[in-house]
Formats: sequence, C-alpha cells, structure tokens
Amino acid sequence: MKGLLALPQWLWAQLRHEVLVLPSRSFVLIATIALLLLPLAYDDPYVLRIITMTAIFAIFAASWDLLAGFTGQVNFGHALFFGIGAYTSALLSHHLGWAPGFTVPIGAMAAMLAGYLVGIPCLRLRGSYLSLATLAFPLILTGLLFAFPDFSGGELGVSGLTRVIVGTVGNYYVAVVLMLVLCFAIWKIGDSHTGLIFHAIREDEVACRASGINTTRYKLLAFTLSGLFAGLSGALFAHFMRVAGPSSLEVALSFQVVIWGIFGGIATIYGPVLAVFILYPLTEILANFEVFKEIRLLMFAVIVLLVLLFMPQGLTPWIRDKIELVCPRCKNRSGFTRHQCRLCGAELR
Amino acid sequence: MFQDILVSGLINSGVYALLAIGFSLIFGVARIVNIAHTAFYMLASYALYGMLVIGGVPLVLAIPLAVVAVVALSLVCYKLVIEPVRQHESAVLIATIALALIFQESLLVSFGGHFLGIPNAVEGVTSIIGVRVSYQRLIILVVVAVTLVATWYLLNRTRLGLAIRASANDQEIANLMGMNVNRVAMYTVGISVGLAAIAGVVVAPVFVVDPLMWLSPLVTMLAIVVLGGLGSLKGSLIGAFIIGYVEAITVFSVPSGSYLKGAVALSIMVLVLLIRPEGLFGVVFEEER
Amino acid sequence: MSRKLLLTAVAALGMAFNSGAWSQNIKIAILGPMAFVQGENHWAGAEMARDEINKAGGISVGGSKRQIEILKFDTNELQSVPDATNAIERAITRDKADFLIGGFRSEAVIAMQEVAMDAKKLFLGAGAADAKLGENVVKDYERYKYWFRVSPTKSPDLGRTLFAVLGAVGAQIRTELKKEIPKVAILSEKAAWTESIVKAVQANLPKMNMEVVGTWQPSPIATDVTAELSAIKRSGADIVFTLISGPMGIVMGRQMGELQLPAIAFGINVEAQKDGFWQATAGKGNYVATLDTYAEVEMTPKMIPFVKAFKERYKKAPTYNAATYDAIFILKAAIEQTGTIDANKLVPVIEKMEHVGAGSTASWDKNHDLIWAVGKTAGIGVQWQDGQKVAFWPPQIKGMKPFKMPKQ
Repeated sequence: MKGLLALPQWLWAQLRHEVLVLPSRSFVLIATIALLLLPLAYDDPYVLRIITMTAIFAIFAASWDLLAGFTGQVNFGHALFFGIGAYTSALLSHHLGWAPGFTVPIGAMAAMLAGYLVGIPCLRLRGSYLSLATLAFPLILTGLLFAFPDFSGGELGVSGLTRVIVGTVGNYYVAVVLMLVLCFAIWKIGDSHTGLIFHAIREDEVACRASGINTTRYKLLAFTLSGLFAGLSGALFAHFMRVAGPSSLEVALSFQVVIWGIFGGIATIYGPVLAVFILYPLTEILANFEVFKEIRLLMFAVIVLLVLLFMPQGLTPWIRDKIELVCPRCKNRSGFTRHQCRLCGAELR
Repeated sequence: MFQDILVSGLINSGVYALLAIGFSLIFGVARIVNIAHTAFYMLASYALYGMLVIGGVPLVLAIPLAVVAVVALSLVCYKLVIEPVRQHESAVLIATIALALIFQESLLVSFGGHFLGIPNAVEGVTSIIGVRVSYQRLIILVVVAVTLVATWYLLNRTRLGLAIRASANDQEIANLMGMNVNRVAMYTVGISVGLAAIAGVVVAPVFVVDPLMWLSPLVTMLAIVVLGGLGSLKGSLIGAFIIGYVEAITVFSVPSGSYLKGAVALSIMVLVLLIRPEGLFGVVFEEER
Repeated sequence: MSRKLLLTAVAALGMAFNSGAWSQNIKIAILGPMAFVQGENHWAGAEMARDEINKAGGISVGGSKRQIEILKFDTNELQSVPDATNAIERAITRDKADFLIGGFRSEAVIAMQEVAMDAKKLFLGAGAADAKLGENVVKDYERYKYWFRVSPTKSPDLGRTLFAVLGAVGAQIRTELKKEIPKVAILSEKAAWTESIVKAVQANLPKMNMEVVGTWQPSPIATDVTAELSAIKRSGADIVFTLISGPMGIVMGRQMGELQLPAIAFGINVEAQKDGFWQATAGKGNYVATLDTYAEVEMTPKMIPFVKAFKERYKKAPTYNAATYDAIFILKAAIEQTGTIDANKLVPVIEKMEHVGAGSTASWDKNHDLIWAVGKTAGIGVQWQDGQKVAFWPPQIKGMKPFKMPKQ
C-alpha cells in the first residue's frame, strides 16, 4: 500500500518544492496543461495545424539555442540539419516505403551525423567566421540536391509522404508531446554538468581549457546533439506537410531560427520555445485580418526590432526579471511576492 | 573564351569588391555584421528607379540623390536601431536582419514583386580585346576603379581615415587617444553604405531590380569577406577578384552547370577556412573585454 | 435575463467567427501569391468571372439562383511553403470555402493539394505545371480525384507545343536565310520543370533537321547572362531556345539587343509575356518570342472579348494565371448540369466536359490534366515587334501576324 503511494507522493513533493515555488515554472506547468487539453476544448483543424507547426518549430528553435546560445557557436545555417532530417526521412519513406516510425528517427540520426561532421571544421573557427561559414553549408547542399534531380526531386522535393498518425488531433498530440518531452530533455541537458561546461565554453574558452576540460569534445557534442534534435523536427515537418522540399534548407529558415532564439533569450531553451509560440501564431493571426495581410512580414520585423530595443537580452530574461527576484546571498531566484529568499532566508529587498 | 572570362570576371569582381569592402569596413571598425548591407544596395537601385522612371528626374541628379538618400537613411537606422543595442552583439545581428526584412517588405508593398528595369546611363556597345561590352558595363568598371582609389585615399591620406584605421585596430586605445569613437563609427557606417549605394545605382541598369535581389549578393559577399579575412580591406578586394573569376570560369567552362557558380564559390570559401581559419589576410582579434 | 445575454453574446461571437456560414453565396477561395503578378492575375480573372456571373443572376443550383463570393488568400508561396498550406487550411476550415482555385509554385501546390484532398474539396490549379500533380490522380484516384488542372498544360506537353512552333520558325529560317540546318542554342534555367524539356529538345532537334550547338543552364535567379550570350554568339546560333521563368528573361532580352546577336530568341520566357517587358528591357527586347496564353486573336470565341475587357479594367494584358476566369465558368457549368455543389457529383461531370473558355477549349485526361491539342489548349506563340506583343502561331487562327526575323 505504501509503495503505491510513493509515486504520487514524490510527484506532489516535486510539484510543491520545485515547480510551484517559481512563477516562471508555474507558468510552464499551466501552459503544458493547456496545450495538452486544447483539442478537447477547441478542435478547429486550422488552429490545431498552427499549433502543430509551432511545436515542430519549437523543437527546432530549442536545438539551435543549445548550440548557439549555450556554447556560443552561433549557427547561421541551422536549416541544414532541419533539411537533412526532412530529406532523409522523406527519401527513405519514398524509395523504401518505410513507416514514419522508422524514418523519423533515422532522419534525426542522419542529421546528428551531419552535426558532428559540420562541427569538426567549425572547431577552427571563431565568432563571426563560424557563423558565416555555417551559412554556406545548407546552400552547398541545396546546390547538390539540384544537381541530382532524379534522386532528390529537384525543386519539387519528395512528396506523397504519409503522416505519422492519421487525423489532425493525432498529429497534434504527436507534435506537442514530442515537443514537451524533447524540449524538457534539452533543458535538462542545459541544466546539467554538461550544460555548465557549455556555458563556460561560451564565456571564456581559454579559461575552460586551462581548467583541464576537453573543449573540443564538448563543442562537438553540442553540434551533434543540436543536429539530432533539429533533424528530428525536420523529419516531423516533412511527414506533417507530406512534402520535403528545398524550402526546408533555405536561408530564410536559418535566419528565422536565429531571430526566434535571440528574441526569446539565448541560453535559456525555454526562451526560444516561448518566442516561437508567440511569433509564429502571431504572423498567422495577422494573416486573418484583411488590412494586415500584405504587410505581415513587415510587422513581424518591426515587432522584433521594437522588442529588441527595449529588451536587448531577449524576452524571457526581461520577463523573469519582472516576476522573480534574485537573492543577494545565495543567488537563487524567488517569486516577486516574497520578502525573504525561499532557500536561505536572506532579505530580498 | 579566355577574353570573355577576363572581361566578364573583371566587371563582376569590381562590383563584388565595392560591396565587400564596405562590409569589411563596418565590421572592422564597429564590429557589426551588417546583414542589411546588400539591402541598402537594393534600396539605392529602387531609389534610382523611383526617381528616374517614375519621377522623371534627370540622370545626373538622380544618381547622387539616390546615394545621398540611402546614406542618410542608413545613418538614421544606425542611430535609432543599432546604437542602442551596440553592447549586445547578438541583438545587433538580428537587428540588421530585421532591418533588411523591413526594407524588403516595404519595397514589396510599394513596388510589388515585379522585376523592374532601369535604362542605361549611356547606350551602345563597344569591343574590347574581341569581347563585346556595353558602355554601361564600362561605366561600372570606371566607377568601381575611381571609388576604390578614392576610398584608399580617404583611408590612408586623411585624418578621418587615420581615425577609422585606428579604431579598427584597437577601439579602446583610439578612444583614449582622443578620437570620438562613436562619431568615427557613424562616419564608417556612412562610407560603407555609400559604397554599397554606389554599387546599387551603377549596377541596377545591367541587372533587374526586385525586392528579393539582396539575398544572393549577400551570400556571395559573405563568402568573399570570409575568404579574404573579416576586417581586412586588402583581403576583401582580393577575395572579390578570386570569387568573381571563379564564377566567370565556372560559367564559361561548364555551361550546363552555370547554376553551380554559387555553390562553387561557397565551397572555395569553406575550403580556405579549413586551411586558414582567419581567411587569407584576416586579422585575429585579441580577446576583447 | 443573464441567459438571454449569454445567448446574444454567443450568437454575436458566432457571427463574428462564422463569416456567412449560413449565407446563400457559393464561396470560392482564390489562392495565390497576391503580392506578385501571378496572384494578381489569379484574382483579376476571378473578379471578371464573378462580376459577369453575378450580373447575370448567379449560378442556378437545382432551381434556386445563388451568387458567387470570391475570397482572396495570399499564399506567399514564393517565400514560404508552410504559409501556403496554412492559407488553404484557413480557406477550408475558417472561411468554409466550397471551392479552391489557384496556386503557382509547384512545391507549394503539391503540399496544398494534400490539404485540399484531405478535406475532399475541389481544387482547380491555375499555375503549376508539374506533372506530379496529375500523376497523383492516377496513383490514388479516390483521394486525388478532386484535383483538376485548368492551366497550364503539364510541363511535358509544353514541350510538344514548343516543338510545333520550333518547326514553324525553323522552316521560316530555312526559307529566309537560305540555311539548310538552322543552329539552335539552348538557354534554360536549371529547374525541375525544364529538365525533361531540355532532354527532349536535345534528342529531337536533329530529327527536325536542326543542330544543337550547345546547352547553357544558369541558375533560375541569375541576373546576368552576358557570359552565356557571348558564348552563344561565338557558337553562331540562329535560334536561342529559351526556357526561362525568372528575371533572366528580361536580362536576356536586353543583353541580346545590346550585344546585337543575330539570333532570335524563342521558347518559354515568362517575363516576355508581361506588358512591362518592353520597358524593362529598355526597348532592346525586340524579336524576343515566347509561348503565351492570351492575345487578341480568335483562339476561342471568348478570347478577344475577354482580353479586351481585362485590358480595359486592369490596364494590362492577362497572363495564364487569369485562367481562374475559365475555372469559375467550368464550375458553373458543372453545378448547373448536376444541380448541386457536392464535389463528388461534380467530378465525373468535369471529367467528361469540353469547356470553351477564354484561354482554351479544355478537356481532361485520366490525370485530370488538359488534353493537348493545337488550337485548343496548346497556347499561342507571341513575338515582340517594335514595342508590341504580336501573336504569330498557330498561323491558321484568325488574327495571327507573321513572324519577323532580325536584320542580319
């Protein structure tokens, strides 16, 4: 009897002591529940489609943050991994007829390998050089795909793919659940010892190396993991849209993820995810209003610019600073309503 | 065929050189990766179109007006958008991306997505070493050469040029030495965009003008500056010629593969980076505090 | 009291979100890149059809007359494929469109087709030429039967038209220039739609007694072809066979004029179909010829009045995307014949239909693609002569003028 209660007890303890203590975490909990319950309340296929796409792009954005935000290797060609994931799973599905349950993970693994391979030459590059070099890779791959149109489908891409699950709601849950699980996993990676080393590499790589850390290995690890998750999102995208085309490799997509990442707040993981959930549906909503239809992208750029001027570090750090206070003694965060730190009891104001 | 490559490559390289040097300049001095650089180039082309074709302004007036207007706009953008976020490198980056998008969309809304043509400054063709070249292209060559010389003169023989080079070398010391670093940065932005604008007005009649024309020169230009070394003007010049000629050679020797010229240029860039990470003439920056 | 308030509020909200769900209008969604010429033509053709039909009373659906309502959807497909699928989803789910017409970029239309077929809505294509769209119909008839292509003919058929015209032009070169074997240089974009046509041309021209002196394939977004044209000049070509859908069409016309190439350009040159071509090439694009769909010739009894009315209303000539006009009339004919707007009943009717439209006399094959026939669906050959776009092929149609060669 006691054993049966152990799990709920543990869950409740986690909830009370880890989640509900911070406003930001409570918000995440509420948002998660809302996302999971949405189809039960409102099953408009259009809205579900938008949220499904948002979830897929959220995984993509989170993977970028892991690489660019945490280790400081700002990747301007992240669409490469997205496209490799999309094309690999599409080609396997099209030529060999495998089910999405197989092609998606394999697509992700192909992108993971690509991440490793791309990371190697990037070891020698720093800062802007790295960014601009990474810009080149998706373009080179696009050129190669066009050079072999019989295999890759040229500009039409690979079409006629099957959905992961039949039905709008089914696909919605696949995307949202995967997003929640993967983004949480990525966040956990960022919150772990490895994540700490990633932070250190970004801040001062020389000091890191002086401390005896094999930065090469960790930088490659960042690339590989980032590629894995980005490839997974690409494969999901291909199966959802039923087409894997050269648009999955385009420069605009790489720029888009950079905007999401920086807008949301780099090195946070939840920042870019929130940014995608705000910005992507926003551009769609604008399309619904006659007067805004033509200037959607313009408004998007203006909004991004304005937010940047007022919150140069990104959206989530700004929000967190408003709703949480940092303890001067133990440096941990507590809710803004508190007067004393929840952990060490020091005066907060 | 050899003459074709020589002449064609020369002209393309010249245009790329104008763009690349401007971009390198602004990076060297202000450490800004200006993604909107080619967007200013596009704006200058549209300004010329607007004045020439729609406004009926005579060419002699339209060209300098277009350049001045675009430079003025860039300074305004710098003051309003870039300067406030100078401290955060990543914010500057997406600020320039956002600016480029705003320009693109504004032009799309005002002019539509059509491909527009601008009449040549001077009509007519001539023959150079057996290759037929239009006068407009010769004008491009001449303008590029004059501009490059003028830029060299500005940078090496004037006080402002000295200040610019000093700031590019070490901004802190330049500041300590009494140079107004912020003002120098503004001048650099003006000169850099001015170069891009000149490229825009002189090249526009030869190509077509559309709101998406800033994307492919952007990629080629980035390849060039990375190849030559970020922050090195000599490197950008030489890089421009290398890439310009590589593209010309690709087109002439592999006619059914001329679409590959972009991919070839990028592959060369990646290769050079693998061998020499700072680019050909790049300066390796000290860790900045 | 509060119950009544709640009901009113819900009703108001319902009205706000369900834009006319209970109205009697037949809703047709027009999907295209509205900021670009293709979308503009999609919409213009649809407007012309709507005004003409509604003025005559509307469509008769099983006894009662219903008006048409056209809804504009900007797919932004040139910049983003997901935007296109979102737009079509919105049209189906939010705005409850009964029929879907439009599309242009093949990669986007293939993705949009999936969404439309999921919802079992009739989707009439007015822009994408890729054969895959029709192949899907044969592959899985029950799913894809709601797709019909109203314009253009599928890309392999474009090739057949090109050969027919090339033959005519080649014959003219033989007589006028006294050359037995005209030389042809192929200048084609490197793109999916040109692949099969290029191969076919390379294989068939020798059989037509013409020599292929070279094949140049710049990138679709190339804006400079002097290199290619210099090489073509050196090759001594008489005909430059073009397959161009992008800005290169303008640049080529202009640079050919500047370099004073003695060859004529013929093929597909989408920019040369537009009125703005002459100004864009600064008047140098003389003798450039291309396939087109509309001209003031009597290809069908409706074409001349349609083109005249279009020019008067929109101050420019229609492009092939204005086939949305014909698409709506096709729907009208099918609805009036069956007396219903049920897609399942309309499909077999359209399959057997031969529709005399403004752009073509259309009938469909197993792939729901247009059946190719000269004088019916194969299109028109037009040439720019001194600032005017002049139709010259097929020569037997009333209104055609002769083809002109440049001075040698």
